[in-house]
Amino acid sequence: MTPLDLRSQLGAAMPGPGGAIGLADRLCNACVTLLGVDGAAISIISQGVTWGTFGSSGALSKRLDEMQFTFGEGPCLEAVRQGRPVLVPDVGDPGDVRWPALSEAMLRSGVKAVFAWPVTIAASHVGALDLFRNSVGMVTDDAMSGASWAAELAALPLLDLMTDSDGDDAHETEDGWARLESLDRLEVYRATGMVMVQLDVGPAEALVRLRAHAFAHDLTASEVAWSILDRRLVMDTDDRWEQPGSAEHAS
Amino acid sequence: MSGDREHLITQAFVSLANSLVEAFDVVELLGTLTTDCARLLDVASAGLLLADRRGVLHVVAASSERTRTLELFQLQRDQGPCLECFRDGVPVSVADLTNETERWPQFVPAALAAGFTSVHAIPMRLLDDVLGTLGLFGTGTGLLNEEDLSLAQALAHVASVVIVAGDAVADKAVVAEQLQRALQGRVVVEQAKGMLAQVGDLTTEQAFVYLRRYARAHAQRLTVVAQALLWRDISAQQVLGEPAGPIPPLSSLGQ
Repeated sequence: MTPLDLRSQLGAAMPGPGGAIGLADRLCNACVTLLGVDGAAISIISQGVTWGTFGSSGALSKRLDEMQFTFGEGPCLEAVRQGRPVLVPDVGDPGDVRWPALSEAMLRSGVKAVFAWPVTIAASHVGALDLFRNSVGMVTDDAMSGASWAAELAALPLLDLMTDSDGDDAHETEDGWARLESLDRLEVYRATGMVMVQLDVGPAEALVRLRAHAFAHDLTASEVAWSILDRRLVMDTDDRWEQPGSAEHAS
Repeated sequence: MSGDREHLITQAFVSLANSLVEAFDVVELLGTLTTDCARLLDVASAGLLLADRRGVLHVVAASSERTRTLELFQLQRDQGPCLECFRDGVPVSVADLTNETERWPQFVPAALAAGFTSVHAIPMRLLDDVLGTLGLFGTGTGLLNEEDLSLAQALAHVASVVIVAGDAVADKAVVAEQLQRALQGRVVVEQAKGMLAQVGDLTTEQAFVYLRRYARAHAQRLTVVAQALLWRDISAQQVLGEPAGPIPPLSSLGQ
């Protein structure tokens, strides 16, 4: 399989039922099937404080992922802090003293290697994709690029979870890449910056709110972005949308 | 070549060469390149598209902030001369777009509606790789002359080198990482423009002028300032308030 085949298979594995969690679980399972790892989990982390693990390939992976938050240390927290992958091919390496408590607990559960990728929304790192293996050693080069693609796709369930929207059924049918590309546009970035000021929130939350509005009004993210840029829409802190100059705005 | 134009060309290359040996910002330099192209060549608008690891093209810089023009560059993610140029690695020149409706059924009507009638797409190459495309849109029909085409190609070469500058050996992994950084940097800069536009009630184009001005005044990279703004390490007021002085009229910034 070429790296690009791997990429499309990961994207194609995402559609299905079960909302954001279903989406995340399917992506984790695809990682296990396609990347030669034994377990995978996705977590949301904000400012170094977790919101939790919310997708996994199985119960053990979920527990392993959660352990990092119990101990307050580990590759996934590190990946988010540094904004780049953290690769631990040998958890039992005595020379590696970064996560003493966690390493011991992982080894007891049979995990020999951990690889964590940051998950990015609107250029800020808000979560991590963790891959676990029960044998020592580095992942292959192909699995490395596959994992970074999976980490890009992992932004989708994060966005869906944060958007908390019932209106979006796209996760049931649409390919992961197609959904991500609708957000990857100049006007969306610019409008995200404007919403950051309007709502006094960070980039990731601003994008989430923009996207939620698009769902609620059956518009594309691009259409909402242009409305914001053209000053036809202003988002206020009550999450109510008003048109400047309209009677509604004056009330 | 008129003496005036020669002077402008010299200036463009001199400022590029100078910035390469100082701390520079890829996003900013590529932005300068597109404005230089639009000014020096017989084209109305220039845009620079870079490919990410998936081979998807992204608009990294454009000489014009016009909505329709930006859309036109973005559209070429799916179809158009820039995409073809990127895929084949050779220049694509179209003297009269009206003849190409079948070739690009979405791109041509959009380009015509935006007032463009001719297009040149020039590949940005590095060794065997194509990194992206420099797209040049004209409002009149006809092809660029030889001299203008080679100048455009030279500017595109410089843009390729700019992306990997600082790394003497351009191995594939390094190039991929630099590209990724440039693309990420552009997201951050665009978001920062949006913040400033909202706070100062400005167009994104005006916001960019303030952002660049602040970065220069503090001898910092554009993306560093943009990131600091997003993290609220500096305030929008700080960037907008300094240095004092009127912002240039939009007419002096290209179309």
